[in-house]
Amino acid sequence: MVKRMSHGARAALFAPLDQTGRAEAVTRRLVDAITLGLLADAEQLPTETELAAQFGVSTVTVREALVALRQHGLVETRRGRGGGSFVRAPADSPVAPWRERLRAVSLADLRDVGDHYIAVAGAAARLAAERSSAEDLVRLELAAEDIRAATGPAASRAERHFHLEVAAAAQSPRLTHQELQLQGEQGGLLWLPIGHPEDPGVAHTVHRAIVTAIASRDGELARKLTEEHILDAIDRLAALHLELIAP
Amino acid sequence: MNDSRTRPGDEVVALVSGIVEGVFAGLKPLLAAAETLLAEPGGTTATDLDRLSPQVVELLDGLVVGAGFIAAPRLLADQQFGFEWWTSAPSGTPTQLFISLDPASEYFLDYTRQSWFTVPRDTGRRHITGPYVDYLCTDEYTLTFTLPVRGAEDFAGVVGADVFVREFEHTTLPKLHALAVEQQSRAALVNAQGRVIVSTSARQATGSLVRELDIPAWWTTGEESIRRPGTTLRRCGDAPVALLVTAP
Repeated sequence: MVKRMSHGARAALFAPLDQTGRAEAVTRRLVDAITLGLLADAEQLPTETELAAQFGVSTVTVREALVALRQHGLVETRRGRGGGSFVRAPADSPVAPWRERLRAVSLADLRDVGDHYIAVAGAAARLAAERSSAEDLVRLELAAEDIRAATGPAASRAERHFHLEVAAAAQSPRLTHQELQLQGEQGGLLWLPIGHPEDPGVAHTVHRAIVTAIASRDGELARKLTEEHILDAIDRLAALHLELIAP
Repeated sequence: MNDSRTRPGDEVVALVSGIVEGVFAGLKPLLAAAETLLAEPGGTTATDLDRLSPQVVELLDGLVVGAGFIAAPRLLADQQFGFEWWTSAPSGTPTQLFISLDPASEYFLDYTRQSWFTVPRDTGRRHITGPYVDYLCTDEYTLTFTLPVRGAEDFAGVVGADVFVREFEHTTLPKLHALAVEQQSRAALVNAQGRVIVSTSARQATGSLVRELDIPAWWTTGEESIRRPGTTLRRCGDAPVALLVTAP
């Protein structure tokens, strides 16, 4: 069966890795892919040799990573005819591994990813205000509406899609590419569907305000609103991290 | 306007018109194959679309780096969305594109919002989308040429071809530059929204919008050209592209 998956996501998933901590990096990549649903339950993984070639690591490293995944219960290996390694999507809520990731993250890294993301998304918003045509605005408005009633993973998707549309409206392939890459950083931590408990409608309001600023060609306002929106998301992640590590 | 004398820019207009008509003409065999396939009794499934791959791969030549058929929602018997799309970038070898088509997936992107889909659907006419960032397929700055496909009842989807903006620029800029020099002006090719596709001036960059003229409004009037002191705007034949020459 051919698995239909985002072209960009698959390309990022199989991009070559650095030399350091390779088995751990392969493990993390695959854990992210499984917990984010990029690899579906019961999907067969490529062979060890294929995985090694795709990640640019040795088969020994891949084997090590697969052992770790089996220990996590995320992969099952069957022997013999029709055998191989198969994905076992976590049965419990997929939020649990995210909590693990958020507990493990350092606030220094979170701040750094946030800074980079703010630079990219803020610049994209400013350029979008300069370059959006009527057609772009229609798509931005639709994307802003997506988050109105969304919860859980649908809210994450709406966040990511909205910022992707802004980057595309900026007419910049590079910013769009960076936007996609940063959305995947730390296993997609930035747009975790942790919501805004005290005000669930706030994301919709902010997205609408950003689109309004873009429509009125107010680049500085679009940038400022986008930056604040991301800082707010980082704040909430940091607060949740502190809660998770509390003894 | 019928004027037998040559006008400045004729060469650019002929070149652009030739490129655009060439890409649309190249889509005709695929359009015919798609309409034949969809007319077969018993409905069409996602795997049936693979039968279009010879016509699709045939298109990947010259400026065309991506091509295929995109189904209207609920057209296929077995899934809501579907397409047969191939790209020759970046490797040069035709590769089939797979993206998430499951609306419940976190990575699903709704292609029915894209202009290359909505305009042929809503107008029944051919369309060039772009320049735009094609984040669904190549992540590149792209022009997408699409034609509506008619099914048994109604709109059944689009057939389309992708051209990278940079390749379009390589093909058109020499003549555009020659015109700019001859006219001591700056010259640009713009789309129907007034977005710059290629320009001889870095200050009128690719992707920016021309704001001095209301090009979308002018486009809907159907007028062939506008002449004002220091500014000439004219259509490149029937192509949805206009040549803009402005005094510096």
